[in-house]
Amino acid sequence: MSEGIADEHQGTNDLSVLEKFQVQSPEMILWTILYSLLGVGIYILIELIPMPYTMVSLFAFGFAPALAIIAIVGAIRGPIAGLLTGYLGTLLYDLLFYSTVVGMTLPYLAYGVLGFVVGLASYDMTNGRSLVKMSVLSAVGFVFTVLLVVVIGLTLGGVSTLVGIGFVMLPLLTIGLPSVFFLTPLFARLWYAVMLKFMPKALPQ
Amino acid sequence: MSLRENKFIVAALVFTIVFAGLTFGNLPGPETALGSQTIDNVVYNFADYPSLNHEQIALFNYMRGLITTEEVNSFDNWNAGGFSGLLHYMFAFTDYVLSSYFETIPGYRTDYTRNTAHTLIKKMNTTVAEYGNDSVEYIEWESRGYPDYYWPNATDPTDLFVGGFRGPTNIMWTGHYALMQALHERCFNTDEYVDELTWFVDDWNNSLTTDGYGNATEGGIWGTGLIPCEPYIVFAQCNSIPIFTTELYDNIYDTQYMESGMWDYGLNFINTVMHEEYDLFIDGYYVQVPIGYTGSMGSGTVLTVPGPAVSRGFDDGRAAESSYCTAWTLTFLEYTQPERTIEDYPVFLEKYSVPVSGEQMYMSGSLNDYGSFGSPNDMLGTFFACALAKQRGDSVTVQRIQNFLTSPYNKVWSADGREMHYDTTSLSPFLQPVMAGFRIWATTPVTIPDLADARPIGFWDYPYISQADDEDIWVYQALWDDDNSAFILNIKVDQTATLTLSNFDHAPTAYSGGVPLSELVAAGSDYVLTLSPGIYNLVIL
Repeated sequence: MSEGIADEHQGTNDLSVLEKFQVQSPEMILWTILYSLLGVGIYILIELIPMPYTMVSLFAFGFAPALAIIAIVGAIRGPIAGLLTGYLGTLLYDLLFYSTVVGMTLPYLAYGVLGFVVGLASYDMTNGRSLVKMSVLSAVGFVFTVLLVVVIGLTLGGVSTLVGIGFVMLPLLTIGLPSVFFLTPLFARLWYAVMLKFMPKALPQ
Repeated sequence: MSLRENKFIVAALVFTIVFAGLTFGNLPGPETALGSQTIDNVVYNFADYPSLNHEQIALFNYMRGLITTEEVNSFDNWNAGGFSGLLHYMFAFTDYVLSSYFETIPGYRTDYTRNTAHTLIKKMNTTVAEYGNDSVEYIEWESRGYPDYYWPNATDPTDLFVGGFRGPTNIMWTGHYALMQALHERCFNTDEYVDELTWFVDDWNNSLTTDGYGNATEGGIWGTGLIPCEPYIVFAQCNSIPIFTTELYDNIYDTQYMESGMWDYGLNFINTVMHEEYDLFIDGYYVQVPIGYTGSMGSGTVLTVPGPAVSRGFDDGRAAESSYCTAWTLTFLEYTQPERTIEDYPVFLEKYSVPVSGEQMYMSGSLNDYGSFGSPNDMLGTFFACALAKQRGDSVTVQRIQNFLTSPYNKVWSADGREMHYDTTSLSPFLQPVMAGFRIWATTPVTIPDLADARPIGFWDYPYISQADDEDIWVYQALWDDDNSAFILNIKVDQTATLTLSNFDHAPTAYSGGVPLSELVAAGSDYVLTLSPGIYNLVIL
């Protein structure tokens, strides 16, 4: 088995919080911010592409690949990068294309939680079990995201319970869970393959 | 390392491909091709002309199917169920939607479009005398127990008779019916409805400026300068329709009803009395004690007559208001008092809008129940807000509301690909035609104030498509460019189709890509263009 970006077998307990968050030095902070900005850009670009979906009652089925971008940035560069990608990506998208910011930006922070949760663990992108872990944590993070989005909508936004549950939570869950569960490891593997081919030295040992 | 060595990735990839295939749908329809061509040094840029897109035409075809595939006294296609009392509104607003559609392609006026509007007017005017209980007159008037009505004592036959389906206290039907007629005349110039339309406008004038017996009276019969419905409440929204109709009537027939001040008292009443604390409109003002009133409107609320309609959910006498009332009124009164709509629109958005996310929002039905959703008022407020937002040029709000309204439903295309609708059966089948209609209304480039103006001078002499193989074509743009004396036609042809163009005074030639495509063939005084399957941006000179 080849070494991944951060060998999970090295033991995450050995890493300080700053190291785990990839902000232990000015250079690392800069790289974390750069990864975040790159993630934000890719998120917005993908979000602009209309995605096919099918409704069954109030359940939406399809893929929302932009969500997986948030997760994958967290997986690659840690929780801060994931948090920033989710927060800024969704915020800037609404700001740029709908001239709108809702809920004192808290709903956007909820999307950041997805990236944050995924970023809390380390992954070996050549290892199937590690990718399964990535999928599971993506799903867990996304469940937190959905719950936060709904709670913020119901409390701060004044959204009706019918809308919050029926028109937000159900479709978001059913379209988001398969997206982050299946697309995040695929994107991770794709990213790893591209980096290995073109920038192998950039892969952390 | 290979995929073969990683079963999870292979499984994820396979699942992704299969799942994506199974859930493929609801993508946006194709954009209309808007090319440019130069003929004799004149540049014809199709993006400069109003256009429809593929989905709008498919939605129109769906609406047309609902209207024309049942008898005029049958209403089964509309899935009204428990909402049959809203049917006549459905017909009326569908007609306004169709008018905005027709106005986008004013050079395409075949029986296919004309008969759709004509049939809708016939449905709206189904009477008990002709169709018994299968009529709008029965559903909208008689079944509610309003057949006869008098003023000032509603039940005293020696007083002024103000009852009857055709008014004057049924403005929620007469206003809409007259506007449907006026728009038909505006769109198709058939003169079929002129006499009846004129009768309605005269009758309103009599109600608004006299005591009903012909003696001049400020505020008219009911002292408000407005006409009631239900039949003892004046509503700003219901009166906005005959006000708009009067404007259109004046513009078409060069009369001066508006200038005469026919609606001045009522407009002032709406603006100064019928508003709530935020200066938005209240939802009704009682001019007479309702028949059967027992001293309470529910929750112990006592009605003061004359006085504002009160919110039935509270016992503190607060006025009833609704987002649909305000949005509808602001939409239809913008032509008459644009400054009021411009001033009130941001207040309306601030008070009633509920942000679901950055991409989605809806309108609360009432300030007294902010955030609620699920009642007809919530849905109506959201629909009308979208039409108003388009009119105000607020494309962001239009998009956010449209995202909220349409994203929960699958687009359903007919087998032949000619029709499309949103499948709303998970919420309410009645929403299906409503959704289709409002989707067209919210997305065509024509607004309600645009429809208040008559056609330009000379319009009826402009060349236009008078006959066509309508079932085989998609007309995205069709209009006469009077500045360049050219007919602009953007069309998709499914099967070889012929189009007959009238009003050309010479044998015209169709140009495509700046070069002659075909010379039209004379057929009597008209000219026929035959097109093979394909998409064409044509300039016909």
